[in-house]
Amino acid sequence: MLKARRRARLLAAALAGILSMSTLAACGDDAGDKESGKTLRLWHYEAPESAMGKAWNEAIAEFKKTHPDVKVEFEAKGFEQIQKTAPQVLNSDKAPDLLEYNKGNATTGQLSKQGLLTDLTDEAKKRGWDKTVPPTVAITSRYDKGVMGKGAWYGVPNYAEYTMVYYNKDLFTEHKVDVPTTVDELEDALATFKDAGLTPFANGGAEYIAQQYVYQLALSQADRSWVDDFQMKGKTDFSDAAWTYAAETFADWVDKGYIAKSSSGLKAEDAGVSFMQGKHPMFFSGSWWFGRFAEEVKSFDWDTFMWPGSKLTLGSGGNLWVVPEGAKNKELAYDFIDITMKKQAQNTLGNAGGVPVAADSSAITDERAKKLIEQFDTLAGNDGLAFYPDWPANGFYDSLASEVQKLITQSAGPGDVLKSLQSEYDENVLKE
Amino acid sequence: MTALKKYPVLAALVLGALFMVLPFVVVLMNAVKSPEEYSSDGPLSLPDSVYLDGLADFWERVDFGEKLWNSVLISGSVAVLAVVLSVFSAYAIGIGRIKGRPWVLAFFVLANMLPQETLVYPIYYLSKEAGLYDTRLSVIIVFTVIQSAFGTYLLSSVLSGFPREIIEAARIDGATKWQVLWRVVVPVSRPTIGVLMVLFFIWTWNEFLLPLVMLVSDDVQTVSVALGVLQGQRDMDATMTNAAALLGVLPAIAFFLLFQRTLTRGIAVGAVK
Repeated sequence: MLKARRRARLLAAALAGILSMSTLAACGDDAGDKESGKTLRLWHYEAPESAMGKAWNEAIAEFKKTHPDVKVEFEAKGFEQIQKTAPQVLNSDKAPDLLEYNKGNATTGQLSKQGLLTDLTDEAKKRGWDKTVPPTVAITSRYDKGVMGKGAWYGVPNYAEYTMVYYNKDLFTEHKVDVPTTVDELEDALATFKDAGLTPFANGGAEYIAQQYVYQLALSQADRSWVDDFQMKGKTDFSDAAWTYAAETFADWVDKGYIAKSSSGLKAEDAGVSFMQGKHPMFFSGSWWFGRFAEEVKSFDWDTFMWPGSKLTLGSGGNLWVVPEGAKNKELAYDFIDITMKKQAQNTLGNAGGVPVAADSSAITDERAKKLIEQFDTLAGNDGLAFYPDWPANGFYDSLASEVQKLITQSAGPGDVLKSLQSEYDENVLKE
Repeated sequence: MTALKKYPVLAALVLGALFMVLPFVVVLMNAVKSPEEYSSDGPLSLPDSVYLDGLADFWERVDFGEKLWNSVLISGSVAVLAVVLSVFSAYAIGIGRIKGRPWVLAFFVLANMLPQETLVYPIYYLSKEAGLYDTRLSVIIVFTVIQSAFGTYLLSSVLSGFPREIIEAARIDGATKWQVLWRVVVPVSRPTIGVLMVLFFIWTWNEFLLPLVMLVSDDVQTVSVALGVLQGQRDMDATMTNAAALLGVLPAIAFFLLFQRTLTRGIAVGAVK
């Protein structure tokens, strides 16, 4: 008994000792950090083997070469962590000098309005970023009173994203289907695969996949001013021709079995994996899958094509480099952004399966990656990026997901679904 | 008991055990699967060969040793400190029988039910003012208080049933209140205190939200926060996430196995009473 107690006391004393030591050590660290001009503190949340991860690793090496006396403190963060804690961190003296942050009104827009981000307009002009970034991509970089589209530059994107159809070349050859160039050809292809016992499209109803099919269908019937009304001006008519076509076609495809009724509860990951397993000949989704497919699909050959008969598709600039207002080494942060905008880093990003904003497509060696970038250049040139359907209203992502789910399970008709979407949209739309 | 009665119970228990173990098996299977194999065969197939790169990559990427140490430090400190705090307040409430006892206890229960989301902002501002933001100490203090709310509630009810005769005998022999606590009450309640300490350790180990908000820098983060690094915006690395989950849950399982006796003893003590 006595022995046990002595042991417990020893343990307690040891723990108390460790505790006070670690607290002291933590205080010691602080003093070193505050030295300015000597360290660049950098955060991002891309996986090291992703296109962005590779390009930025290279950029860090390049930065060390051009700034030999500067220490780079890089910390890999999780998306959720930055998403949940950025406002608190940036409002404290722990803010890094440079971080990757999600674009959009609710994120970068909100922080810029609260004065937590540095206005980058002058730097963008001085260093020519405003010329390198195409205007459609720059929409998500500029915020006026927290609303994107115009105003001052608060972030600089290195890459962009857009959606396309990924297709299984082996299955296309096996069933003698050519890559469709018109909507009719697409419908024929869908019918052929269905008759052969395959579900043509991979789909995930529980997450963003399903609503992106619907929005793409609407976009195929729409023009730029329709997009601007829906995305920027806060007014859209869900009973117009584009939305009606979208909802009815989607419902029809579910009915015909082109999209599985059982996919209503599947997540994006499930949809992607089922395509990678070769269960579906086609998968409509974003360029963010490209690198992973290139890396992991070994059992069949695949390629991509744009949605037939549509000038517009989903997409936007990628996430942004932002400089916190409280950053201690802003000049170093600008230097780093500049390196990531140079051809070298941009080409690395492109060769690794990303969509760089300013690559030299002749320097891209991989055939598929080259096509990915050329398709994007065409889109950007035609002002063809129509953003994402959940952007214009608060909580609209969930509304879209649950309404489109009803189309998949056939528990509501297209008319009812569009009606509920209209009321959700009108109630929650963001206005200046 | 006849075999007829025994087997249905046994079958139900086996089924229950299977349900509990299944998630661990799936995690283990995918943790040692290569990403290519996961993509082509899906999550439920048996791995063709043991692929340990996922485990090693994750360990290296987040400097897992450091995270492990942070978690042990925080959970260990909280377990010890929260138990000490609970013993003090439960001594006052359960044995000292202070005035308004039911109200104090009700207050503790209420505080215990408060969702952590509501605490995020107050704790953030307080710790920033105190210069404790982004330190392990802030999380230790917060969880010591949170856990001891439950500990006080539980220990108070246990101690209010403490045999008064023993305390009175000690008082007659000339023991002070302090001596009664350390020489009589604590040794007799050791099983309960042991259970509390194990529970506090495991609960604190599994905490996610407050450490996520309070521990910003890499060098102070805990295991559960480090697991979040793998969740990308649109992509997830399924095999590495499984590897990480395995690494994250192993220490808690090891700790549980180590202190299993203490736990069952504590539960048994409660049953006799």
